[in-house]
Amino acid sequence: MRPNPLKALVVNPLAGVFIALVAIFVISALLSPYFMTGYNLSVVTRTLAFVGLVTIGQASLMILGEIDLSLGVIGGLCGVAAGMLMVNLGLSPWIALPLALLLGAACGLLNGVLVSLLRLHSLVLTIGTAGIFGGANLVLTRGVAITNIPKEIQVFGRGDLFGIPMPFVIMIVVLAIVSFIAAKTPFGRYLYAIGNNPAAARMLGIKVDRIRILVFVFAGVMAALAGLLMVARLGTAQPSIGETWVLAPIAAAVIGGVTTTGGVGTPLGATFGAAIIGIIENIIVLFGVSPYWQGIVSGVIVVLAISFDAVSRRYLRSDAA
Amino acid sequence: MAFLETHGLGRDFPGVSALNDVDLSIELGRVHVLAGENGAGKSTLVKLLTGTDRPSRGSISIDGKDPAEDPSLFRNIAYVPQELTLFPHLSVAENLFLPYDRTGHGRNIVNRRRLESEAATVLARFGITASPAAFVRTISVPDQQLLQIARASTNKNMKVLILDEPTSSLTSTEVDRVFQVISGFRDSEHAIIFISHKMDEVFSIGDDCTVLRNGEKVEAGHLADTDVNGLIRAMSGETIHLGDTFRPEVVPPGDGDAILTVRGLSGPHFENVDFDLKRGEILGFAGLVGAGRSEVMQTIFGYIKATAGAVEMEGKPWTLGDTAASIRNGMIYLSEERKQHGILPLMSVRDNIGISLYDQTASVFGISARKERACVADIIKAYDIKTSSMGKQIMFLSGGNQQKALIGRAMAQQPRVLIFDEPTKGIDVRTKAEIYRIMKGLAEQGVGIILVSSEMEELRKCATRIVTMHSGKVTGSFDAAGTSNETLVGAIFGKENTPDAA
Repeated sequence: MRPNPLKALVVNPLAGVFIALVAIFVISALLSPYFMTGYNLSVVTRTLAFVGLVTIGQASLMILGEIDLSLGVIGGLCGVAAGMLMVNLGLSPWIALPLALLLGAACGLLNGVLVSLLRLHSLVLTIGTAGIFGGANLVLTRGVAITNIPKEIQVFGRGDLFGIPMPFVIMIVVLAIVSFIAAKTPFGRYLYAIGNNPAAARMLGIKVDRIRILVFVFAGVMAALAGLLMVARLGTAQPSIGETWVLAPIAAAVIGGVTTTGGVGTPLGATFGAAIIGIIENIIVLFGVSPYWQGIVSGVIVVLAISFDAVSRRYLRSDAA
Repeated sequence: MAFLETHGLGRDFPGVSALNDVDLSIELGRVHVLAGENGAGKSTLVKLLTGTDRPSRGSISIDGKDPAEDPSLFRNIAYVPQELTLFPHLSVAENLFLPYDRTGHGRNIVNRRRLESEAATVLARFGITASPAAFVRTISVPDQQLLQIARASTNKNMKVLILDEPTSSLTSTEVDRVFQVISGFRDSEHAIIFISHKMDEVFSIGDDCTVLRNGEKVEAGHLADTDVNGLIRAMSGETIHLGDTFRPEVVPPGDGDAILTVRGLSGPHFENVDFDLKRGEILGFAGLVGAGRSEVMQTIFGYIKATAGAVEMEGKPWTLGDTAASIRNGMIYLSEERKQHGILPLMSVRDNIGISLYDQTASVFGISARKERACVADIIKAYDIKTSSMGKQIMFLSGGNQQKALIGRAMAQQPRVLIFDEPTKGIDVRTKAEIYRIMKGLAEQGVGIILVSSEMEELRKCATRIVTMHSGKVTGSFDAAGTSNETLVGAIFGKENTPDAA
């Protein structure tokens, strides 16, 4: 029996997605002379940060076996709420921003409590709550952006730290903390246990409902954080913030080795997945693909990436089972 | 020439040869027992015979032809897996006749009334009590298991029926029904391949036998030419005395004190249950499937909510309804449903065991990989868990090794009360004896052991006392050594007995 070199990728899906990320990075650099410029890389990483933060939250839920379709609108709602607190009520950003994060936590709490108490499927429930949160956004703003956001917070969205875009730095810090929790703490391992087999987890004395609610709260906070950083970057609180944060993070997590059925994958892998999608979208723009075609092209590439992953995994698993 | 034959059949997986050079010969009109320990290669062989996997070496012949050239030959082989694979949200009749084109129920339009009336005759033949229109999720587990066999037999091309542990959730009356069905197939010139770890069943129904060990055929012949000990020796390669009893003998300090006192406990499917568990004993729970034994145990453990009653542990009131508190206070329940309630399938053996060791392995700096590896290695060694590495996903371990991993994980928390619910379901003879020995050892150290089992022989061998239950009520409590089988069976079927002084 020859050792199968591809098998290492299945045993460690993280290595697989990392290699894919490096490959896409190198190909992009070869295809376009503009890709490797400092300006473009800063655009790519800055843009990645927002979807990346939501992806970290969504991936944590998916590892647990849940999914939250309201994360995008939570981001939008918290963004405009922060804007209104600062502009309309004249609150200091140092009060307004934590309050907006708290609002994200409250939205996540609502999702988590309803899913746990009513034993609802989170996919269905969060379609409903997404309607509520998105509707609240429109009631508050009437669809009009809030301008005159205090300049002092713009450093979080537009600023750099040691030449690295601030939102990206924040995402990396969050990712490091979450990765440590997921891999090295009992709480993190319980996430995987619940995602594998919730009944067995309860038999082990794991407080399944409490952990599920906490992770929904965490995901809500991540969405809110992404929303705030986006307000800081734009300098206005747009009601449309978060519209693209629903499906891309789910696709990113799946590309990164997190399954929709729960129990496997890592936040790091999911973030790699988000980076792959981010680079693909960037290279499409650099190539000057017509904006009307961008959705189709990036969709096709994502479907290809996921199919390749699924097919190779099935082929190798039939060999290993 | 036999109807189904294999020659030099082999199947390799990366790093292991699961099956090697197996010759098998199945004749119509006979019941062929396929025997072997967990992990001996029975499932691999069945997968090759049913065409769900392809051999690495060797050949299969069905009716003298090669199915590698004509896969439709595999339609002659019907397979009933050990696990229930029914569609819970479809009706009994629909489950019975799916896929419709195979059973002659039309390709485009299905006549529900005709489906159900035809189902009624099949159900009667198999002694299934459920109505054809009932959803499978609502019918009893024995009915589901029988339905699964009935479903396989609706395949009109079937010549060979493979039954993998068909009786694991059945009681003796239902087993008789299965045996009648098997005899009927045998007499109508079908071949049956029968896989079971229950020796009495093997010898009462089997004609021929093939024994696998470590992926190789070690013996084949007529069952009449061997006996239970001979068969066990062939399967395990050594002599195992299952005739031994495993009742605790050494008396731990404080012997006879009640560890657990249950009074007037009621919950779903059971009511007003009283019993005492004493230090140093193994307390058996006997009853039919559905008598409420598992529900009683899960309620005491806190997995199900109690509606009435109280429990005391070592004289102190016991918190019900909180599994985390139960484990913290020294009780562990090992479920009958290893897959549903036990293993974390996609996680490694190390993660599965390590998840109960965080008290020892985790600090403010996180879980120490080094400590975890060391602790898990100790448990793997102590409980003789066979796995190529501790990083292997637990779902790839055999049932017996999964069970030993779960026991090892439970023991790492040093429980004072350990509840085993059907701990040897689907587990081979050698591992059974190991599990009995573990239970005995624990009881002798003073751990209170409750053993829920549907196998009377197992209870008689291991239990000090046996509590019987019938449809949710305790019908007696007996000293295991001094009570006849008739009395126990009577109590299981609901005959009221005056509980003895125990």
